[in-house]
Amino acid sequence: MSFPLRIILFGLLSSTFAPMLAAQSSAPASQLTFNRDVAPIVFRSCSTCHRPGEAAPFSLLNYSDVKKHARQIADVVRSRAMPPWLPEPQELKFADELRLSDADINRILTWVEQGAAEGAPADLPPAPKFVQGWRLGQPDLVLKAEKPFILPPEGTDTYWNFIFRLPIQETKWVKAVEIRPGDKQYVHHANILVDRAHASRQRETEPGAGFGGMEIRIESQAFDPDSHLLFWKPGTIPYVEPEGMALRLDKGTDLVLNTHLQPSGKPEVIQPSIGLYFTDHPATKLPMLLQLENDLKLDIPPGQKDFLVTDDFTLPVDVDLMAIYPHAHYLGKDIRAQATLPDGTKKMLIYIPQWNLNWQAVYRYAEPVLLPRGTVISLLYSYDNSDANPMNPNHPPLRVNGGNRSTDEMCHLWLQVLPVNFDAANGDPRMALQEALARHNVEKNPADFEAHYNLGAMLQARGNLDAALAEYEAAVKLRPEDATGNNALGAALVEGGRPAQAVSYLQAALKARADYFDAHYNLGFALAQQNDFAAAVDQFQTALRLQPQDAAVEANLGAALAEMGRYADARVHFQHALLLDPAQPIAKENLEALKEMNPR
Amino acid sequence: MRRRKFSITLMWMGTVLAVLCGLATAQQALDLDGHAVNPFAAASGKPVVLIFLRRDCPVSGRYAPVVQKISREYADRASFWLVYPDRTDNPQDIRKSVADYGYQLPVLRDPEHALVKLSRVQITPEVAVFDGDRRLIYDGRIDDWYIDLSRARPAPTAHELRDAINAAAARTTLAHKEVRGVGCYISDVE
Ligand code: HEC
Repeated sequence: MSFPLRIILFGLLSSTFAPMLAAQSSAPASQLTFNRDVAPIVFRSCSTCHRPGEAAPFSLLNYSDVKKHARQIADVVRSRAMPPWLPEPQELKFADELRLSDADINRILTWVEQGAAEGAPADLPPAPKFVQGWRLGQPDLVLKAEKPFILPPEGTDTYWNFIFRLPIQETKWVKAVEIRPGDKQYVHHANILVDRAHASRQRETEPGAGFGGMEIRIESQAFDPDSHLLFWKPGTIPYVEPEGMALRLDKGTDLVLNTHLQPSGKPEVIQPSIGLYFTDHPATKLPMLLQLENDLKLDIPPGQKDFLVTDDFTLPVDVDLMAIYPHAHYLGKDIRAQATLPDGTKKMLIYIPQWNLNWQAVYRYAEPVLLPRGTVISLLYSYDNSDANPMNPNHPPLRVNGGNRSTDEMCHLWLQVLPVNFDAANGDPRMALQEALARHNVEKNPADFEAHYNLGAMLQARGNLDAALAEYEAAVKLRPEDATGNNALGAALVEGGRPAQAVSYLQAALKARADYFDAHYNLGFALAQQNDFAAAVDQFQTALRLQPQDAAVEANLGAALAEMGRYADARVHFQHALLLDPAQPIAKENLEALKEMNPR
Repeated sequence: MRRRKFSITLMWMGTVLAVLCGLATAQQALDLDGHAVNPFAAASGKPVVLIFLRRDCPVSGRYAPVVQKISREYADRASFWLVYPDRTDNPQDIRKSVADYGYQLPVLRDPEHALVKLSRVQITPEVAVFDGDRRLIYDGRIDDWYIDLSRARPAPTAHELRDAINAAAARTTLAHKEVRGVGCYISDVE
């Protein structure tokens, strides 16, 4: 699962007004004015979102806009509800911090108390200027959701996912993404997940329709760390990746935009679009997303006010921490992540004293934070499942467990890290990270299907097939009817040259999910290896019906037919395979072989 | 004695007149064609519910389905009015907004805040409920859905508007005659 995100919020707020605050309180008679005292704060810290076309419900661009909401503004700055910024100030600074200084807040409050005067025109700073349209200029590729989602008028939170089928013919490197989530006033946040295997398509009732769901999981086949947090929240300005950190997009990839919507009281048409900016420079620095979690520990009794969940993960390699994304649902209360360096120094990575799901966000550090190997990353999340928590989805409270529905709870922390100071000869350091994480999860919870599965996948990717098989077997033992687990075990057995043993697992996978492309493909392969070509042809044909654009299936189907002596049929499939992928090696080689056999 | 009594009667009548005058000012609310409308006159003794909204107030908007549900349910028992207190709002914009939200309720503008003062409301959305004798029996929030501007409960747990209409219809009184709402200040648009 990946949470690609990019954010940049507006300029850092300084506290240079602090001395003036003192002056002010000693001279309370001085009348504050909008033009001189308040406009600079509003233009810098509010207008970015409070203007036409942006997320906020009304503009704050001039005196009369601000006057019309003056008392409400006093309330929201006093409570720090605005600008939206959940983390407490800390040593490790975030980029684009939106927090107002105490001095700014006091000025606004005093101004409202004093009657919200306009002041002299000469004192008014120039109005802020904003880029119209796409922030980074016309994107190289614009994708628009095929069908809009009609947001129903009623309720509080709605989650909808849009699938964008990428119309690219070759691998592209993306240096920036601008998410236009549709009418921004009704979108709390949106993030893009990269779905290389079309895993989400089956959830659409018809192509392009999209699908509901708060948390989506995307299975990925190979070790494919989706290392970018492509996230939109109100006020987001598209983030341009540092040189060498472009995001890879291959032909046939889907982008899934997960949106969190807030009904407005009337039906709203939500039709997001995504603008992609390409670069010619492939990635040279490969960050990854570390997903720490401890959902298993989420078994929160009703009435419990302060239920603490923790987890500690030790980094196996040096990393630069680039960004952090904490995530909990409606019971989340006090959320912290902290790093204990090998020398014992503790650093707060993020501290959110009053979690609010509505303002969840990815936070990017102003400077990468070096965390040496051996650093322990600890998450400490507390949850309030009492009636005193007004956001509690259950009234009266019920026992709540970890899960994907909004009424379930979550304890997740994503860290975007870039491995540093490693020796490339020892392989991709991200694999070591991923393996350590998977191992950590298995140790934490030997009954965790996914942990075994992920560890198996990682070991398989690192070439440790025997160890991988053991993990997949453990996974299948835990969930004997799971399609993914059985398929993975079957595929690993095929890879290990044990096709006969693979067949029953692959069949079990298909029993669980009849339209499982991978399992049909793998079963075809296992059968062909045992020279049961007729049965293999059946499987490849079914696979092809499920994914008619897959060159490898075409080629394998051709090969199985050729083995059966059906050369003419075989030729057609090899040719199709080459149409789909002119470099398809099996098709190329076999077509040559057919030519030699039958030079006509 | 007769004269004395007469004069007392006069004084009493004077008081009545004064009250009516007060109401007359209070009823300077206008419909969207600019005609003065008295929401109490049409109610013929039924309770009257005034619902105060600002077009630029998101919480006001989000309550539209709730207001519609309650007003449909209680259509026989009370008469409902939407009231827009923002003086700078023009009738076309209000008409469009009412249509967008699909409201089927009569609409008033209250540019002089006559109904606002009579109703003692401070925030949008808030409601004022008057019984059949035009006595204000409740002013404040519709329910407790919103906790503050950025947090809402999954569903309300207290239903002040319903309770107030029931009380008005039954001519009983309420424990809480006033519970402030969450939303936008009306005084900001004075
Ligand atoms: C990052 C974007 C952003 C910034 C910066 C921002 N706001 Fe907001 N503001 C919003 C959004 C989005 C909403 C709507 C919130 C909702 O509907 O829950 C909002 C709502 C409000 C509201 C009304 C709340 C309501 O729901 O009626 C006020 C008042 C407000 N903002 C004032 C301010 C002030 C003052 C500043 C600057 C000091 C500011 N905002 C900065 C995005 C922003």
